[in-house]
Amino acid sequence: MRVLAVAGVALRRLVRDRTALLFMVVLPVVVILVVGASVRGFSTFRIGVVDLGAGPSGHDLVAALERAPGLDVRDYATAADAARAVARGQLATAVVLPAGMDRSLRAGEPVDVAVLAEQANSSEQAAAAQVAAVIAEQGGLVQAAVFATDQVAALAAGTDAYAANLARAAAVRPGVADVGVASEVVDAKATILPQGFSYSAPTMLVLFVFLNAVVGGAAVIQTRRLGMYERMAATPTAVSAVVAGETLAAVAIALGQAALIVGIGATAFGVSWGNPAAAAVLVALWALVSAGAGMLAGTLFRTPEQATAIGPSVGIAFAMLGGCMWPLAVVNEAMREVGHLTPHAWAVDAWTALIARGGTLATIAPQLGVLAAFAAGFLTLATVRLRRSLV
Amino acid sequence: MGWMRRVTRAAAHRDESSARTHPAGADAAAAPGADAAAAPGAATPAAPTGTAVVVGGDALVGAPGPDGDRVPGDAGRPLLACTDLTKRYGDRVAVDGVSFSVGRGEVYGLLGPNGAGKTTTIKMVCGLLPPDAGTVSLDGREPARDAAARARVGYVPQDVALYPDLTAAENLAFLGRLYGLRGTTLRERVAEALALTDLQARGGDRVGTYSGGMRRRLNIAAGLLHRPALLVLDEPTVGVDPQSRHAILGRVRELGRNGMAVLYTTHYMEEAERVCDRVGIVDRGRIVAEGTRRELVSRLGEQDRIELTATGDLADLAEQCRALPGVERAAVTDRGVRLLTSDGRRVLPALLEAADRSGAAIDSVEVAEADLEAVFLHLTGTALRE
Repeated sequence: MRVLAVAGVALRRLVRDRTALLFMVVLPVVVILVVGASVRGFSTFRIGVVDLGAGPSGHDLVAALERAPGLDVRDYATAADAARAVARGQLATAVVLPAGMDRSLRAGEPVDVAVLAEQANSSEQAAAAQVAAVIAEQGGLVQAAVFATDQVAALAAGTDAYAANLARAAAVRPGVADVGVASEVVDAKATILPQGFSYSAPTMLVLFVFLNAVVGGAAVIQTRRLGMYERMAATPTAVSAVVAGETLAAVAIALGQAALIVGIGATAFGVSWGNPAAAAVLVALWALVSAGAGMLAGTLFRTPEQATAIGPSVGIAFAMLGGCMWPLAVVNEAMREVGHLTPHAWAVDAWTALIARGGTLATIAPQLGVLAAFAAGFLTLATVRLRRSLV
Repeated sequence: MGWMRRVTRAAAHRDESSARTHPAGADAAAAPGADAAAAPGAATPAAPTGTAVVVGGDALVGAPGPDGDRVPGDAGRPLLACTDLTKRYGDRVAVDGVSFSVGRGEVYGLLGPNGAGKTTTIKMVCGLLPPDAGTVSLDGREPARDAAARARVGYVPQDVALYPDLTAAENLAFLGRLYGLRGTTLRERVAEALALTDLQARGGDRVGTYSGGMRRRLNIAAGLLHRPALLVLDEPTVGVDPQSRHAILGRVRELGRNGMAVLYTTHYMEEAERVCDRVGIVDRGRIVAEGTRRELVSRLGEQDRIELTATGDLADLAEQCRALPGVERAAVTDRGVRLLTSDGRRVLPALLEAADRSGAAIDSVEVAEADLEAVFLHLTGTALRE
């Protein structure tokens, strides 16, 4: 009962702290919303079109690009302007339609349509691929029209056979199976989380639960500085009960925040958290890791101000290294190794396995094992240090 | 208040077998440790829950100080016995072989300047610090190792130790739970402690909104919540306004009269004289003298204490005074110089000449009979509040 009394008073004090509640509840949801919406933008690519005098075929191609799902077409006057916009990230890619394109196509000559994209950016490569698919489709129509024109030219002397055949080829298209281009995970080797809220919700869960716990270490410091631990030690309450109570409160707070993010992610943002049992174990272990880190922070920092100033820096640095800000798949091998010195990387790996690859408890067992070791280490260190500060 | 009525009954019962002599007006003293909390394993049985009845409420506030010396209670079998307590921090000896005892119904004071070792001593008494040597015994049990012994001690730390973001009632309820109190008993004790410290009207307010004096009173209420056999107060009036101080001292006196053993530390001589039955004078980690006020003052014989309120080179003034015939001790205080003389009136003219020589300006001169301040000066050669 004394353990519950210590835990209860810590929770009661948290509920009274509106600032802490803001950081615990409101901020994670807002960040999930912002990051999720930003990352979700990858599914709609903004492309530029530079028409250098391509003629009717060029207009047809632009119309096809505008019809294509997921492409937002903008006109640019020159190739240089478009290239600059791509370099600045304003465009995912740009298409340059050469002068005399229509004339060359009618003559059966090859035409090069330039597609500008940054080589290093995977999302831009995906946009370029989608544009290329539209061009290829349009090219197929042109080839069909040229072929038909060659065949019927003699019979249709005096008429614009190419234009008529091109229109006929286009008319045939609705009967042909529409082949779209969309990127999706098709194998079991995906190394990054899906885009959108499925990316932001689990990574922000990892980030905020840990961050909040570390900052929450200030409560331990404050309790010590208020002289309450000394007062508790003067009662018949064993020091171990005080430590257990504080730990229980920290775990409950971390669990509560994690559950909140999971719930809001699932209901408001449509996030599928994967195998429920595995997700539950992962959330519980992450709560233990975070609570242990928070308790440790409470014994390492000397003032609440230190905890609230240094804690977020440490939490965000761990989150960056651990793949909460960007996938570790896009960083070099050395940084990936460094990232896995943080528990965050293991948690994000586990969420990736659950959400992107449909993993199970068995699948993420290695990550859970590492997280359990982190939790045990943090909690043991925190307990030892807190006991020392109490007696 | 029900628990006070119960204490009175218990004391009356115990007195039948006690050879103790009671001071005037203290006939309800000497309750045994039956008023300890109902903690598991406690040496004494749990106290019955009495009906909340205000008994002598007015007497709790501003009870007059002792006219003379009160005889310590149950001297033959003290509730608390400290023997040769020693505590070192590195090379510094904070507490050096301190021994004293506190009987039931006795208010025992540790009087000494800041840094003398008072707080370290009471932390060892409460089991918060392990002594390097010596023993603490509460009815034969050691608080540091025995939870049941700690359940019989009420600790009131020097700095207010309460959660400012919780209400007074929530703070008390939390601490009550740590003492093993539950349900109706807990609620009654919380209400009782709030009433005892005149805070019942503000019990639902957050402690952060309290004045300094109210926090001090609540700090004491938290130590009384579980009806301890021994109440340990570490300078409970520091920073308190005169009215709250008056009330606190009155309550401490009343608690002693009603049978509670009280260990009280202070660096205010007048508090020790007013509240304590016996005083241990502490200097540099050692108890240099112990006894009732009368016993301690009688050591000085017919000496007078002279307080010179002065400005200027006070160290030189003190040095000049020490050289005067009839001046036994002279020490600089925060407002002037304090002297101990065999005949205050005869030495006065020479003192004024000494002040002239040293260039100090005398604002006032006060000649008083020997008191605990004089005793401290006599024993240590320094002023109590230096």
